[in-house]
Amino acid sequence: MITPGALLSKSAPLLACIGLLCAWQATSLLLNTDSFPTAWESLRAVPAILTDKESLVNIGASLRRMVIGFGLAILFAIPLGLMMGRIKAVASFFNPLLMVIYPVPKAALMPIIMLWLGVGDVSKTLVIFLGVSLPVIYHSFQGGRAVEEKMLWSAAAMGMSAPMRMWRIVLPAALPEILTGCRTGLVLALITMVTSEMIARQSGAGNILFNSLDMAQYDTTFAMIMIIGAMGITLDAAFEKMRSSLVRWSKPQHDLPLSFS
Amino acid sequence: MKVVPLRSDADVGSEPLPGAAPALAMIHIDHVSQRFQTAGRQSHLALSDINLAIDEGAFVSILGPSGCGKSTLLYIVGGFVAPSEGAARIKGKAITRPGPDRGPVFQEFALFPWKNVLGNVMYGLRQQGVKKPEAEARSRKLLEMVGLKGYENFYPKELSGGMKQRVAIARTLAYNPAVLLMDEPFGALDAHTRTRLQNDLLTIWERDRKTVLFVTHSVEEAVFLSDQVVVMTRSPGSIKVVVDIDLPRPRKRAELLLDPRYQKYVVDIEKLIDDTGEDGIHV
Repeated sequence: MITPGALLSKSAPLLACIGLLCAWQATSLLLNTDSFPTAWESLRAVPAILTDKESLVNIGASLRRMVIGFGLAILFAIPLGLMMGRIKAVASFFNPLLMVIYPVPKAALMPIIMLWLGVGDVSKTLVIFLGVSLPVIYHSFQGGRAVEEKMLWSAAAMGMSAPMRMWRIVLPAALPEILTGCRTGLVLALITMVTSEMIARQSGAGNILFNSLDMAQYDTTFAMIMIIGAMGITLDAAFEKMRSSLVRWSKPQHDLPLSFS
Repeated sequence: MKVVPLRSDADVGSEPLPGAAPALAMIHIDHVSQRFQTAGRQSHLALSDINLAIDEGAFVSILGPSGCGKSTLLYIVGGFVAPSEGAARIKGKAITRPGPDRGPVFQEFALFPWKNVLGNVMYGLRQQGVKKPEAEARSRKLLEMVGLKGYENFYPKELSGGMKQRVAIARTLAYNPAVLLMDEPFGALDAHTRTRLQNDLLTIWERDRKTVLFVTHSVEEAVFLSDQVVVMTRSPGSIKVVVDIDLPRPRKRAELLLDPRYQKYVVDIEKLIDDTGEDGIHV
Protein backbone atom coordinates (compact mmCIF):
# COMPACT_ATOMS: atom_id res chain seq x y z
CA MET A 1 0.00 0.00 0.00
CA ILE A 2 1.47 3.39 -0.97
CA THR A 3 0.58 6.31 1.27
CA PRO A 4 -0.15 9.69 -0.35
CA GLY A 5 2.98 11.13 1.25
CA ALA A 6 5.22 8.42 -0.19
CA LEU A 7 3.56 8.81 -3.57
CA LEU A 8 4.25 12.54 -3.52
CA SER A 9 7.90 12.14 -2.59
CA LYS A 10 8.33 9.44 -5.25
CA SER A 11 6.80 11.57 -7.96
CA ALA A 12 8.51 14.79 -6.84
CA PRO A 13 11.46 14.51 -9.29
CA LEU A 14 9.03 13.99 -12.18
CA LEU A 15 6.93 16.94 -11.06
CA ALA A 16 10.07 19.09 -10.86
CA CYS A 17 10.99 18.18 -14.45
CA ILE A 18 7.51 18.97 -15.72
CA GLY A 19 7.56 22.24 -13.79
CA LEU A 20 10.89 23.21 -15.31
CA LEU A 21 9.66 22.42 -18.84
CA CYS A 22 6.51 24.49 -18.28
CA ALA A 23 8.49 27.47 -17.01
CA TRP A 24 10.83 27.12 -19.97
CA GLN A 25 7.92 26.98 -22.39
CA ALA A 26 6.31 30.06 -20.88
CA THR A 27 9.53 32.10 -20.78
CA SER A 28 10.42 31.16 -24.33
CA LEU A 29 6.96 32.14 -25.62
CA LEU A 30 7.21 35.40 -23.74
CA LEU A 31 10.67 36.33 -25.01
CA ASN A 32 9.95 35.07 -28.52
CA THR A 33 13.51 35.12 -29.86
CA ASP A 34 15.11 32.66 -32.30
CA SER A 35 17.96 31.85 -29.92
CA PHE A 36 15.63 30.53 -27.26
CA PRO A 37 13.39 27.81 -28.71
CA THR A 38 10.44 26.57 -26.69
CA ALA A 39 10.65 23.39 -24.62
CA TRP A 40 8.31 21.68 -27.02
CA GLU A 41 10.40 22.51 -30.12
CA SER A 42 13.52 21.28 -28.36
CA LEU A 43 11.88 18.08 -27.18
CA ARG A 44 10.72 17.41 -30.72
CA ALA A 45 14.35 17.60 -31.89
CA VAL A 46 15.43 14.85 -29.50
CA PRO A 47 14.15 11.85 -31.51
CA ALA A 48 15.79 13.24 -34.64
CA ILE A 49 19.17 13.17 -32.92
CA LEU A 50 18.65 9.78 -31.36
CA THR A 51 17.66 8.17 -34.65
CA ASP A 52 20.46 9.75 -36.66
CA LYS A 53 23.26 7.24 -37.11
CA GLU A 54 26.05 9.80 -37.17
CA SER A 55 24.82 11.43 -33.97
CA LEU A 56 24.69 8.08 -32.25
CA VAL A 57 28.25 7.33 -33.35
CA ASN A 58 29.26 10.69 -31.92
CA ILE A 59 27.53 10.12 -28.59
CA GLY A 60 28.95 6.61 -28.46
CA ALA A 61 32.46 7.97 -28.97
CA SER A 62 31.90 10.43 -26.12
CA LEU A 63 30.69 7.73 -23.79
CA ARG A 64 33.61 5.49 -24.71
CA ARG A 65 36.14 8.20 -23.83
CA MET A 66 34.28 8.94 -20.66
CA VAL A 67 34.22 5.31 -19.54
CA ILE A 68 37.92 4.82 -20.33
CA GLY A 69 38.92 8.10 -18.64
CA PHE A 70 36.80 7.37 -15.58
CA GLY A 71 37.97 3.75 -15.33
CA LEU A 72 41.67 4.61 -15.62
CA ALA A 73 41.23 7.45 -13.13
CA ILE A 74 39.73 5.32 -10.39
CA LEU A 75 42.32 2.58 -10.96
CA PHE A 76 45.00 5.19 -10.43
CA ALA A 77 43.36 7.42 -7.84
CA ILE A 78 42.02 4.90 -5.32
CA PRO A 79 45.36 3.18 -4.58
CA LEU A 80 47.17 6.54 -4.51
CA GLY A 81 44.61 8.13 -2.20
CA LEU A 82 44.59 5.17 0.17
CA MET A 83 48.37 5.08 0.33
CA MET A 84 48.40 8.81 1.05
CA GLY A 85 45.91 8.17 3.81
CA ARG A 86 48.01 5.45 5.45
CA ILE A 87 51.61 6.39 4.70
CA LYS A 88 52.69 9.80 5.89
CA ALA A 89 55.62 10.14 3.49
CA VAL A 90 53.38 9.51 0.48
CA ALA A 91 50.91 12.14 1.69
CA SER A 92 53.66 14.73 2.29
CA PHE A 93 54.98 14.11 -1.22
CA PHE A 94 51.72 14.29 -3.13
CA ASN A 95 49.72 16.79 -1.09
CA PRO A 96 51.50 19.94 -2.33
CA LEU A 97 51.34 18.69 -5.93
CA LEU A 98 47.62 18.11 -5.67
CA MET A 99 47.12 21.49 -4.01
CA VAL A 100 48.64 23.11 -7.10
CA ILE A 101 46.58 21.08 -9.57
CA TYR A 102 43.27 21.23 -7.68
CA PRO A 103 42.12 24.79 -8.51
CA VAL A 104 43.17 24.58 -12.19
CA PRO A 105 40.13 23.90 -14.39
CA LYS A 106 41.13 20.70 -16.14
CA ALA A 107 39.62 21.82 -19.43
CA ALA A 108 41.95 24.83 -19.34
CA LEU A 109 44.83 22.38 -19.82
CA MET A 110 43.19 21.10 -22.99
CA PRO A 111 45.02 23.46 -25.42
CA ILE A 112 48.42 22.45 -24.03
CA ILE A 113 47.55 18.79 -24.06
CA MET A 114 46.32 19.13 -27.64
CA LEU A 115 49.64 20.68 -28.54
CA TRP A 116 51.43 17.59 -27.24
CA LEU A 117 49.03 14.79 -28.01
CA GLY A 118 46.88 16.11 -30.85
CA VAL A 119 43.14 16.59 -30.98
CA GLY A 120 42.23 12.91 -30.88
CA ASP A 121 40.90 10.55 -28.28
CA VAL A 122 44.06 10.53 -26.17
CA SER A 123 43.89 14.22 -25.29
CA LYS A 124 40.20 14.14 -24.44
CA THR A 125 40.49 10.98 -22.40
CA LEU A 126 43.44 12.46 -20.53
CA VAL A 127 41.44 15.54 -19.58
CA ILE A 128 38.60 13.35 -18.31
CA PHE A 129 41.15 11.28 -16.41
CA LEU A 130 42.52 14.41 -14.71
CA GLY A 131 39.08 15.72 -13.88
CA VAL A 132 37.99 12.46 -12.25
CA SER A 133 41.26 11.69 -10.46
CA LEU A 134 41.31 14.62 -8.05
CA PRO A 135 38.04 14.11 -6.19
CA VAL A 136 38.62 10.34 -6.09
CA ILE A 137 42.14 10.82 -4.68
CA TYR A 138 40.82 13.30 -2.13
CA HIS A 139 38.00 11.08 -0.89
CA SER A 140 40.18 7.94 -0.89
CA PHE A 141 42.75 9.88 1.12
CA GLN A 142 40.14 10.93 3.67
CA GLY A 143 38.68 7.43 3.79
CA GLY A 144 42.07 5.79 4.19
CA ARG A 145 43.11 8.20 6.90
CA ALA A 146 39.92 7.59 8.90
CA VAL A 147 40.36 3.80 9.11
CA GLU A 148 40.35 2.86 12.75
CA GLU A 149 43.85 1.88 13.85
CA LYS A 150 42.56 -0.83 16.20
CA MET A 151 40.89 -2.51 13.23
CA LEU A 152 44.27 -2.75 11.51
CA TRP A 153 45.84 -4.00 14.71
CA SER A 154 43.18 -6.70 15.00
CA ALA A 155 44.01 -7.84 11.48
CA ALA A 156 47.75 -7.69 12.20
CA ALA A 157 47.25 -9.90 15.25
CA MET A 158 45.62 -12.47 12.96
CA GLY A 159 48.89 -12.56 11.06
CA MET A 160 47.97 -10.32 8.14
CA SER A 161 50.90 -8.54 6.48
CA ALA A 162 50.91 -4.78 5.87
CA PRO A 163 50.32 -4.95 2.09
CA MET A 164 47.46 -7.40 2.65
CA ARG A 165 45.93 -5.09 5.27
CA MET A 166 45.92 -2.32 2.66
CA TRP A 167 43.93 -4.51 0.30
CA ARG A 168 41.70 -6.40 2.70
CA ILE A 169 41.11 -3.92 5.54
CA VAL A 170 41.82 -0.35 4.39
CA LEU A 171 40.07 -0.72 1.02
CA PRO A 172 36.77 -2.13 2.34
CA ALA A 173 36.80 0.10 5.42
CA ALA A 174 37.26 3.20 3.25
CA LEU A 175 34.86 2.04 0.54
CA PRO A 176 31.89 4.25 1.53
CA GLU A 177 34.07 7.35 1.32
CA ILE A 178 35.79 6.15 -1.88
CA LEU A 179 32.44 5.63 -3.60
CA THR A 180 31.31 9.11 -2.58
CA GLY A 181 34.40 10.38 -4.40
CA CYS A 182 33.66 8.20 -7.41
CA ARG A 183 30.15 9.59 -7.62
CA THR A 184 31.47 13.13 -7.74
CA GLY A 185 34.05 11.90 -10.25
CA LEU A 186 31.39 10.46 -12.51
CA VAL A 187 29.60 13.80 -12.81
CA LEU A 188 32.91 15.54 -13.40
CA ALA A 189 33.71 13.01 -16.12
CA LEU A 190 30.57 14.08 -17.96
CA ILE A 191 31.41 17.76 -17.54
CA THR A 192 35.01 17.41 -18.73
CA MET A 193 33.84 15.18 -21.56
CA VAL A 194 31.62 17.96 -22.96
CA THR A 195 34.13 20.75 -22.36
CA SER A 196 36.95 18.79 -23.99
CA GLU A 197 34.78 18.38 -27.07
CA MET A 198 33.97 22.04 -27.01
CA ILE A 199 37.68 22.84 -27.33
CA ALA A 200 38.74 20.00 -29.61
CA ARG A 201 35.85 19.68 -32.03
CA GLN A 202 35.93 16.51 -34.00
CA SER A 203 33.38 14.10 -32.70
CA GLY A 204 31.22 13.54 -29.69
CA ALA A 205 28.13 14.81 -27.96
CA GLY A 206 29.77 18.17 -27.30
CA ASN A 207 30.61 18.46 -30.98
CA ILE A 208 26.96 18.09 -31.99
CA LEU A 209 26.00 20.68 -29.39
CA PHE A 210 28.49 23.34 -30.43
CA ASN A 211 28.15 22.73 -34.16
CA SER A 212 24.40 23.22 -33.94
CA LEU A 213 25.04 26.41 -31.99
CA ASP A 214 27.35 27.67 -34.73
CA MET A 215 24.74 26.88 -37.33
CA ALA A 216 21.96 28.53 -35.35
CA GLN A 217 20.01 25.27 -35.02
CA TYR A 218 18.97 26.20 -31.56
CA ASP A 219 16.38 23.47 -31.13
CA THR A 220 19.13 20.88 -31.68
CA THR A 221 21.38 22.73 -29.20
CA PHE A 222 18.77 22.60 -26.48
CA ALA A 223 17.81 19.03 -27.34
CA MET A 224 21.45 18.06 -26.95
CA ILE A 225 21.62 19.81 -23.57
CA MET A 226 18.61 17.75 -22.51
CA ILE A 227 20.22 14.53 -23.77
CA ILE A 228 23.44 15.24 -21.89
CA GLY A 229 21.43 16.07 -18.77
CA ALA A 230 19.48 12.84 -19.09
CA MET A 231 22.74 10.92 -19.47
CA GLY A 232 24.01 12.52 -16.28
CA ILE A 233 20.91 11.66 -14.30
CA THR A 234 20.84 8.09 -15.61
CA LEU A 235 24.53 7.48 -14.90
CA ASP A 236 24.26 9.00 -11.45
CA ALA A 237 21.19 6.97 -10.56
CA ALA A 238 22.79 3.75 -11.80
CA PHE A 239 25.96 4.47 -9.87
CA GLU A 240 24.02 5.31 -6.72
CA LYS A 241 22.17 2.02 -6.98
CA MET A 242 25.45 0.14 -7.20
CA ARG A 243 26.99 2.21 -4.41
CA SER A 244 24.21 1.63 -1.93
CA SER A 245 24.19 -2.10 -2.59
CA LEU A 246 27.97 -2.29 -2.11
CA VAL A 247 27.99 -0.47 1.23
CA ARG A 248 24.73 -1.70 2.71
CA TRP A 249 26.74 -2.68 5.81
CA SER A 250 27.77 0.90 6.39
CA LYS A 251 25.97 3.30 8.70
CA PRO A 252 23.15 4.95 6.75
CA GLN A 253 24.42 8.09 5.07
CA HIS A 254 22.32 11.02 4.01
CA ASP A 255 21.39 10.74 0.41
CA LEU A 256 23.85 12.93 -1.41
CA PRO A 257 22.60 15.76 -3.52
CA LEU A 258 23.73 15.68 -7.12
CA SER A 259 27.28 16.83 -6.75
CA PHE A 260 27.70 19.26 -9.63
CA SER A 261 30.89 20.76 -8.36
CA MET B 1 46.39 -8.66 52.15
CA LYS B 2 49.58 -9.93 50.73
CA VAL B 3 51.45 -7.33 48.75
CA VAL B 4 54.22 -9.07 46.94
CA PRO B 5 57.24 -7.12 45.84
CA LEU B 6 58.09 -7.16 42.18
CA ARG B 7 59.75 -10.27 41.07
CA SER B 8 63.19 -9.48 39.82
CA ASP B 9 64.73 -10.72 36.62
CA ALA B 10 66.64 -13.35 38.52
CA ASP B 11 63.37 -15.10 39.42
CA VAL B 12 62.21 -15.12 35.85
CA GLY B 13 65.40 -16.27 34.22
CA SER B 14 66.60 -13.35 32.15
CA GLU B 15 68.03 -15.27 29.19
CA PRO B 16 66.22 -18.56 28.79
CA LEU B 17 68.31 -21.51 27.72
CA PRO B 18 66.90 -24.10 25.36
CA GLY B 19 65.16 -26.69 27.42
CA ALA B 20 64.73 -24.37 30.36
CA ALA B 21 61.04 -24.04 29.55
CA PRO B 22 59.40 -24.92 32.90
CA ALA B 23 60.85 -21.90 34.68
CA LEU B 24 59.80 -19.61 31.88
CA ALA B 25 57.13 -16.97 32.30
CA MET B 26 54.50 -16.69 29.56
CA ILE B 27 55.06 -12.95 29.25
CA HIS B 28 58.16 -11.21 30.46
CA ILE B 29 58.31 -7.43 30.43
CA ASP B 30 61.95 -6.54 30.85
CA HIS B 31 62.99 -2.96 31.74
CA VAL B 32 60.45 -1.45 29.38
CA SER B 33 60.28 2.33 29.06
CA GLN B 34 58.27 4.34 26.60
CA ARG B 35 58.80 7.92 25.47
CA PHE B 36 56.51 9.91 23.23
CA GLN B 37 57.50 13.00 21.32
CA THR B 38 55.15 15.81 22.21
CA ALA B 39 54.41 18.95 20.22
CA GLY B 40 56.88 21.15 22.11
CA ARG B 41 59.92 19.09 21.06
CA GLN B 42 59.93 17.61 24.52
CA SER B 43 59.65 13.93 25.05
CA HIS B 44 57.10 12.67 27.50
CA LEU B 45 57.97 9.61 29.55
CA ALA B 46 54.85 7.43 29.53
CA LEU B 47 56.30 4.24 31.02
CA SER B 48 59.30 4.07 33.26
CA ASP B 49 61.31 0.89 33.68
CA ILE B 50 58.53 -1.69 33.84
CA ASN B 51 59.44 -5.21 34.94
CA LEU B 52 56.80 -7.85 35.10
CA ALA B 53 56.54 -11.59 34.70
CA ILE B 54 53.18 -13.20 33.94
CA ASP B 55 52.76 -16.92 34.38
CA GLU B 56 51.00 -19.15 31.91
CA GLY B 57 47.29 -19.40 32.66
CA ALA B 58 47.24 -16.37 34.94
CA PHE B 59 44.56 -13.71 34.80
CA VAL B 60 46.43 -10.47 35.44
CA SER B 61 44.83 -7.04 35.56
CA ILE B 62 46.66 -3.76 35.17
CA LEU B 63 45.09 -1.00 37.19
CA GLY B 64 46.04 2.62 37.44
CA PRO B 65 44.94 6.22 37.07
CA SER B 66 44.13 7.33 33.54
CA GLY B 67 47.17 8.39 31.57
CA CYS B 68 49.50 6.05 33.45
CA GLY B 69 50.39 4.19 30.28
CA LYS B 70 48.64 0.93 31.12
CA SER B 71 47.16 0.60 27.64
CA THR B 72 50.54 1.43 26.10
CA LEU B 73 52.05 -1.44 28.08
CA LEU B 74 49.42 -3.75 26.62
CA TYR B 75 50.12 -2.48 23.09
CA ILE B 76 53.83 -3.21 23.61
CA VAL B 77 53.02 -6.80 24.55
CA GLY B 78 50.74 -6.95 21.52
CA GLY B 79 53.59 -5.80 19.30
CA PHE B 80 51.52 -2.84 18.06
CA VAL B 81 53.89 -0.32 19.65
CA ALA B 82 57.65 -0.74 19.99
CA PRO B 83 59.10 0.20 23.38
CA SER B 84 61.71 2.97 23.52
CA GLU B 85 63.84 0.90 25.86
CA GLY B 86 63.80 -2.67 27.08
CA ALA B 87 61.90 -5.58 25.60
CA ALA B 88 58.79 -7.65 26.04
CA ARG B 89 59.04 -11.39 25.52
CA ILE B 90 56.57 -14.17 25.03
CA LYS B 91 57.83 -17.62 26.05
CA GLY B 92 61.32 -16.14 25.95
CA LYS B 93 61.01 -14.79 22.41
CA ALA B 94 61.34 -11.04 21.91
CA ILE B 95 58.13 -9.42 20.67
CA THR B 96 58.74 -7.40 17.53
CA ARG B 97 55.38 -7.46 15.78
CA PRO B 98 51.76 -8.54 16.32
CA GLY B 99 51.06 -12.23 15.96
CA PRO B 100 48.26 -14.75 16.41
CA ASP B 101 49.72 -15.94 19.73
CA ARG B 102 48.49 -12.66 21.26
CA GLY B 103 44.84 -11.84 20.62
CA PRO B 104 43.67 -8.29 21.35
CA VAL B 105 40.20 -7.19 22.45
CA PHE B 106 39.73 -3.43 22.36
CA GLN B 107 37.33 -1.08 24.10
CA GLU B 108 36.33 0.18 20.63
CA PHE B 109 35.44 -3.40 19.49
CA ALA B 110 37.23 -2.77 16.16
CA LEU B 111 34.98 -5.20 14.29
CA PHE B 112 35.12 -5.32 10.50
CA PRO B 113 31.86 -3.52 9.64
CA TRP B 114 31.65 -4.95 6.11
CA LYS B 115 31.57 -8.51 7.45
CA ASN B 116 28.60 -9.98 9.24
CA VAL B 117 28.94 -11.54 12.71
CA LEU B 118 29.91 -14.96 11.37
CA GLY B 119 32.33 -13.40 8.87
CA ASN B 120 34.04 -11.45 11.64
CA VAL B 121 34.53 -14.52 13.84
CA MET B 122 35.73 -16.61 10.89
CA TYR B 123 38.17 -13.96 9.70
CA GLY B 124 41.15 -14.96 11.82
CA LEU B 125 40.68 -18.66 11.11
CA ARG B 126 40.50 -18.09 7.37
CA GLN B 127 43.60 -15.90 7.66
CA GLN B 128 45.35 -18.83 9.33
CA GLY B 129 44.43 -21.00 6.36
CA VAL B 130 41.65 -23.01 8.00
CA LYS B 131 39.25 -24.37 5.38
CA LYS B 132 35.89 -22.64 5.16
CA PRO B 133 33.58 -25.42 6.44
CA GLU B 134 35.76 -26.02 9.47
CA ALA B 135 36.22 -22.31 10.19
CA GLU B 136 32.46 -21.85 9.95
CA ALA B 137 31.68 -24.77 12.26
CA ARG B 138 34.15 -23.55 14.87
CA SER B 139 32.89 -19.99 14.64
CA ARG B 140 29.27 -21.05 15.06
CA LYS B 141 30.23 -22.97 18.17
CA LEU B 142 32.03 -19.94 19.60
CA LEU B 143 29.10 -17.69 18.85
CA GLU B 144 26.88 -20.06 20.74
CA MET B 145 29.31 -19.95 23.65
CA VAL B 146 29.24 -16.15 23.83
CA GLY B 147 25.45 -16.18 23.60
CA LEU B 148 25.02 -14.93 20.04
CA LYS B 149 23.38 -17.92 18.40
CA GLY B 150 20.93 -16.63 15.82
CA TYR B 151 22.88 -13.44 15.13
CA GLU B 152 25.29 -14.94 12.59
CA ASN B 153 23.98 -12.87 9.69
CA PHE B 154 23.72 -9.55 11.50
CA TYR B 155 26.11 -6.74 10.62
CA PRO B 156 28.02 -4.93 13.40
CA LYS B 157 25.98 -1.74 12.92
CA GLU B 158 22.85 -3.68 13.87
CA LEU B 159 24.23 -4.82 17.23
CA SER B 160 24.33 -3.20 20.67
CA GLY B 161 27.65 -2.40 22.33
CA GLY B 162 27.55 -5.49 24.53
CA MET B 163 26.83 -7.74 21.56
CA LYS B 164 29.62 -6.15 19.55
CA GLN B 165 32.07 -6.88 22.33
CA ARG B 166 30.85 -10.48 22.49
CA VAL B 167 31.56 -10.77 18.76
CA ALA B 168 35.00 -9.24 19.26
CA ILE B 169 35.81 -11.69 22.04
CA ALA B 170 34.62 -14.62 19.92
CA ARG B 171 36.62 -13.32 16.96
CA THR B 172 39.79 -13.29 19.04
CA LEU B 173 39.14 -16.62 20.79
CA ALA B 174 38.52 -18.19 17.37
CA TYR B 175 42.19 -18.29 16.36
CA ASN B 176 43.10 -19.58 19.79
CA PRO B 177 45.81 -17.17 20.92
CA ALA B 178 47.97 -18.22 23.86
CA VAL B 179 47.45 -14.81 25.47
CA LEU B 180 44.39 -12.58 25.52
CA LEU B 181 45.16 -8.86 25.62
CA MET B 182 42.10 -6.99 26.81
CA ASP B 183 42.23 -3.20 26.68
CA GLU B 184 39.42 -1.86 28.89
CA PRO B 185 37.09 -4.20 27.00
CA PHE B 186 34.00 -3.33 29.05
CA GLY B 187 34.80 0.36 29.49
CA ALA B 188 32.27 1.56 26.92
CA LEU B 189 29.37 -0.56 28.21
CA ASP B 190 26.58 0.26 30.63
CA ALA B 191 26.80 -1.15 34.17
CA HIS B 192 24.35 -3.98 33.62
CA THR B 193 25.91 -5.20 30.38
CA ARG B 194 29.33 -4.85 31.92
CA THR B 195 28.42 -7.13 34.85
CA ARG B 196 27.00 -9.76 32.52
CA LEU B 197 30.06 -9.73 30.30
CA GLN B 198 32.38 -9.99 33.30
CA ASN B 199 30.48 -13.07 34.49
CA ASP B 200 30.55 -14.61 31.02
CA LEU B 201 34.23 -13.86 30.53
CA LEU B 202 35.02 -15.53 33.83
CA THR B 203 33.00 -18.62 32.89
CA ILE B 204 34.77 -18.87 29.54
CA TRP B 205 38.18 -18.26 31.09
CA GLU B 206 37.70 -20.80 33.87
CA ARG B 207 37.06 -23.39 31.18
CA ASP B 208 40.36 -23.12 29.29
CA ARG B 209 42.51 -20.83 31.50
CA LYS B 210 44.26 -18.78 28.88
CA THR B 211 46.80 -16.24 29.99
CA VAL B 212 44.97 -12.91 30.18
CA LEU B 213 46.38 -9.42 30.46
CA PHE B 214 43.45 -7.18 31.30
CA VAL B 215 43.66 -3.37 31.45
CA THR B 216 40.95 -1.63 33.44
CA HIS B 217 40.35 1.33 35.69
CA SER B 218 37.67 -0.44 37.73
CA VAL B 219 39.05 -1.86 40.99
CA GLU B 220 36.03 -4.14 41.51
CA GLU B 221 36.38 -5.55 38.02
CA ALA B 222 40.10 -6.20 38.51
CA VAL B 223 39.63 -7.95 41.88
CA PHE B 224 36.63 -9.95 40.70
CA LEU B 225 38.41 -11.35 37.65
CA SER B 226 42.09 -11.58 38.45
CA ASP B 227 44.73 -13.76 40.04
CA GLN B 228 47.00 -10.75 40.29
CA VAL B 229 46.38 -7.02 40.12
CA VAL B 230 49.24 -4.81 38.98
CA VAL B 231 48.82 -1.31 40.43
CA MET B 232 50.56 1.42 38.46
CA THR B 233 51.56 4.91 39.50
CA ARG B 234 50.56 8.10 37.79
CA SER B 235 52.61 9.37 34.85
CA PRO B 236 55.34 8.37 34.23
CA GLY B 237 53.77 4.98 34.72
CA SER B 238 55.69 2.51 36.78
CA ILE B 239 54.59 -0.49 38.80
CA LYS B 240 53.74 0.32 42.37
CA VAL B 241 52.80 -3.12 43.64
CA VAL B 242 51.53 -6.43 42.42
CA VAL B 243 48.69 -7.70 44.58
CA ASP B 244 47.94 -11.42 44.64
CA ILE B 245 44.19 -11.93 44.76
CA ASP B 246 43.77 -15.00 46.90
CA LEU B 247 40.10 -15.76 46.35
CA PRO B 248 38.74 -19.21 45.55
CA ARG B 249 37.65 -20.19 42.06
CA PRO B 250 35.26 -20.71 40.43
CA ARG B 251 34.10 -17.31 41.58
CA LYS B 252 30.44 -16.41 41.86
CA ARG B 253 29.59 -12.73 41.93
CA ALA B 254 26.80 -13.05 44.49
CA GLU B 255 29.05 -14.85 46.95
CA LEU B 256 32.10 -12.73 46.24
CA LEU B 257 30.43 -9.37 46.81
CA LEU B 258 29.52 -10.49 50.33
CA ASP B 259 32.96 -11.94 51.01
CA PRO B 260 34.92 -9.70 53.45
CA ARG B 261 38.19 -10.72 51.80
CA TYR B 262 36.94 -9.42 48.44
CA GLN B 263 35.79 -6.20 50.08
CA LYS B 264 39.15 -5.73 51.78
CA TYR B 265 41.02 -6.19 48.50
CA VAL B 266 38.86 -3.54 46.87
CA VAL B 267 39.28 -1.04 49.70
CA ASP B 268 43.03 -1.63 50.04
CA ILE B 269 43.68 -1.30 46.31
CA GLU B 270 41.57 1.85 46.11
CA LYS B 271 43.76 3.30 48.87
CA LEU B 272 46.88 2.35 46.94
CA ILE B 273 45.59 4.15 43.88
CA ASP B 274 44.73 7.24 45.94
CA ASP B 275 48.30 7.24 47.19
CA THR B 276 49.64 7.10 43.69
CA GLY B 277 47.49 10.12 42.96
CA GLU B 278 49.21 12.07 45.70
CA ASP B 279 52.57 10.93 44.45
CA GLY B 280 51.65 12.43 41.15
CA ILE B 281 51.00 15.82 42.67
CA HIS B 282 54.20 15.93 44.66
CA VAL B 283 56.55 14.71 41.99
